[in-house]
Amino acid sequence: MKISRRSALQLFAASTLVPFAPAFAADWKAIEAEAKGQEVFFNAWAGADNINAYIAWAGEAVMKRWGVKLTHVKITDTAEVVKRVRDEVKAGKSDGSVDLVWINGANFKAMKSEKLLFGPFAESLPNFALVDVKGKPTTTKDFTETTDGLESPWGMAQFTFFADGAKVASPPRSMVELAAFAKANPGRVTYPAPPDFHGATFLKQALVEAASDKSIFAKPIDQAGFDTAAKPWLAFLDEIKPSLWREGKQYPKSQAEITQMVADGELLIGLTFNPNEPANLAAAGTLPKTTIAWQHTAGTIGNSHFVAIPTNAKAKAGAQVVANFLLSAEAQAKKNDLKTWGDPTVLDVAKLSGDDAKMFAASSVPGSVSLPGPAILEPDASFVALIESTWLSHYAKG
Amino acid sequence: MISQRQSWIPAFAGMTDWGVIGAIPICVLFALPLITSLFYALIGAFDVTAWQALFAHPQLWSGLELSIFTGAIAAVLAQITAIIIVAATYESAGWGNLPATMGAMLALPHLALAIGLSFLIMPSGVLARIISNIAGWQTPPNWITTHDPYGLALIAALTIKEAPFLIWIMAGLLDRDDIKQDFKNQRAAATSLGHGSVSIWLRLYLPQLMPKLIWPLVIVFIYAATVVDMSLVIGPTQPPTLATVIWADINSEQVTNNARGNVGAVFLSIALGVCLLLAYAILKSVSSFCRQFLSSGPNPQSQSNFVGRANYRILVWLYIAVTALLLFMSFAQLWPFPHLIPTTSTRAWGLILQSPNALITSVGLAIATSITALALIILWFENLPQKSDQLLVLLSLAILGLPAILVGLGLYRAFLNFGLTGNLTGLFLAHLMPVTAYMIIVLVGPYRALDPRYADIAASFAKTKFEFLNQIKLPLLKAPILAALGVGFAVSFGQYISAQLIAAGRYSTLPIEAVTLTSGTNRPLTAAFALLLLLPPLLAYVIAAYFGKSRWSKG
Repeated sequence: MKISRRSALQLFAASTLVPFAPAFAADWKAIEAEAKGQEVFFNAWAGADNINAYIAWAGEAVMKRWGVKLTHVKITDTAEVVKRVRDEVKAGKSDGSVDLVWINGANFKAMKSEKLLFGPFAESLPNFALVDVKGKPTTTKDFTETTDGLESPWGMAQFTFFADGAKVASPPRSMVELAAFAKANPGRVTYPAPPDFHGATFLKQALVEAASDKSIFAKPIDQAGFDTAAKPWLAFLDEIKPSLWREGKQYPKSQAEITQMVADGELLIGLTFNPNEPANLAAAGTLPKTTIAWQHTAGTIGNSHFVAIPTNAKAKAGAQVVANFLLSAEAQAKKNDLKTWGDPTVLDVAKLSGDDAKMFAASSVPGSVSLPGPAILEPDASFVALIESTWLSHYAKG
Repeated sequence: MISQRQSWIPAFAGMTDWGVIGAIPICVLFALPLITSLFYALIGAFDVTAWQALFAHPQLWSGLELSIFTGAIAAVLAQITAIIIVAATYESAGWGNLPATMGAMLALPHLALAIGLSFLIMPSGVLARIISNIAGWQTPPNWITTHDPYGLALIAALTIKEAPFLIWIMAGLLDRDDIKQDFKNQRAAATSLGHGSVSIWLRLYLPQLMPKLIWPLVIVFIYAATVVDMSLVIGPTQPPTLATVIWADINSEQVTNNARGNVGAVFLSIALGVCLLLAYAILKSVSSFCRQFLSSGPNPQSQSNFVGRANYRILVWLYIAVTALLLFMSFAQLWPFPHLIPTTSTRAWGLILQSPNALITSVGLAIATSITALALIILWFENLPQKSDQLLVLLSLAILGLPAILVGLGLYRAFLNFGLTGNLTGLFLAHLMPVTAYMIIVLVGPYRALDPRYADIAASFAKTKFEFLNQIKLPLLKAPILAALGVGFAVSFGQYISAQLIAAGRYSTLPIEAVTLTSGTNRPLTAAFALLLLLPPLLAYVIAAYFGKSRWSKG
């Protein structure tokens, strides 16, 4: 299933060491020429209208400059696309319906291991040189899975909590403090039930914080090893459970539902993967202007999200042109802007020219992260299934 | 009496050639794609590893209990509510308006009702806010009004949503001119024998009506026991209903989870089938006991219509409250507890107006599929004997009973192999399937129950088969046919999963826009789309109800 770590690294090294110079530029010119007139069907989650508007903006830009027509295929769940491509490839359909997909994590892992992706292509995009591969290691390591050039980084994410500052004066900066907060405010804190992505991340965060030896998360783990490592974690979950919303017998289904409940005042603390989402929602009026956002002192789980091209995509050249544009300083700055989307950039702003760098100037607005913590890597992929099954067997029956 | 005899028209019994021709269109456009899809959907049902994984799932049995419990209780409550309301309104001044009122209720999408109802009763919802403004609470109460572990809130939502469907079907049947006349005569006879209205309903009307209502009731049960969207909004979460567990598995990116979801769906279908057989066996064994009651002496008790009227009013007001709330929510921006008035914005409606094409595609598909389905069904009914209907009903139940995502994926895989994805033909066929299935279920009872003597009389006047159909049969069946068209339109208008898969991003329909845009936090947008999804079916139902009124009730 999995490409071994070493061979992946070799692949990665090979693709970055390729001399970029003239041959490369000529290749790229050829791709641009081929892309002209192509229609790129970009399958992307469409649950936020600011993101949809951003994609529409990118569509206008690539049409004007490269003659590529970008069509946003609105989807609710990226797993739909994984299944679609899998079925198309199985049915031998070579002119696939998906040209570009917004992806990361388990969906990427599934597509990579089933060889459903085109590439490597990411490192040969001209704008990839601007990516902060060193400072932001998750741009080439997606949930512990090496990207191997099969997906191109698009944006950064870090687990972030938020609340109405008028109700939560000093936010809990660790899971232990969160448990104390929940005890003091029974029924006002919760997390989505896994396998929801945010719920699973909350549990990972708790597991990492509870463990005394953090080195175990870098390597694969088996059931026996997990059972030992999980003891302090289960103790924490047992401790917080009676103070949770509905006494931990019921859980909301998604992060979005929790956000709505925070806005309504039913819950006090919300969680998100986009550190700028609280600020964005405060600007849109969905959350109050007194919203605050924070990360845990010892750090919270961070990752990146990407775009990938299915192996049977029809407009591969067009898709690469779009992926390259999405990595440009202009597109990344626009995305970074709280007024449009507020999704943090994957670029190394220090590498950019003065004018380009200026576009990324941060401003503190209501709801932006005021108490940041460092980004920590996802635990090894082998943890996910064990976290979910263990949680399910302990807490699934209310 | 309504005849239960076979209505295969003796005068045209010789037309076996026609039988074949009548069966071809529905086979090609409905049965064949359906069977192929089911084949693709169920191909994974023989995966032993997946069955083992299913039986190892910690939420299997608790989820199954919840699914059957919520489905059965909701179906029974909806049927009782429907009977009480119909009995209180039948032959009264309000009867003529009943179909239109029910049609309006039917048009409200299931999801919209769940969202509106949950915002009414949840701890930070409107009722809690009203109380808190009087009692001075600053934080929402710890009520367990939604997502309760027993699924009571889900049962309430399902009952409220399904009762109008059953009333609609009953009204379509009772509005048939021949039945009306029969019942009138029977009533006169029964009254003169000293029977009161309760007795007339229980001893005369219901025993004749129920056999024709059995399939709609079965559909309500299956729907209620397999519903996912409403369950996610208002149902229990730990454990959730089995349908929700299966849905998560089928949606997963992991092939092994998909396989477990696949066999889970088969398992749930079998379990529901067993429940239905058990219910049938029980009903059959008590029917002889009940028969004694049928012929027992007259009971002059006349039902005070108070209970029925009160039920009717509560139902109407709930729908008005939910719709008003949705309208309010569509403009609400920030609405913190315990405020009664939110900050407002018209942003949601602005976003919706940006996609008029989706609305046009949806309306076009709904009209085309409901009319095509009607033609297919009439061709079948007119050319094939009644006993062959079982085949169609079985196929319809299969597609309506299996989770939509499973059928949708099967359909998608089948269509993929035949080059029917990303084009209008595929999209049309994908919509036609559920529309035809629903319309078969709605029409089979009323259509087949038409007294065959009408045909004999027509034949004796040397009317051709077509003349009989056109001049006598269809006018008699106008109400149920229009009711079925209304249902077909609404069903087409509500298709999401198969539409999304088949359209492959090449076409957009209103549900595709609505579901994808509302997968985020945006409650105003969700509410606005719910209302937009309500309007066209509402029009269809009201038009159907208006033209479906029998000549006698117009006066």
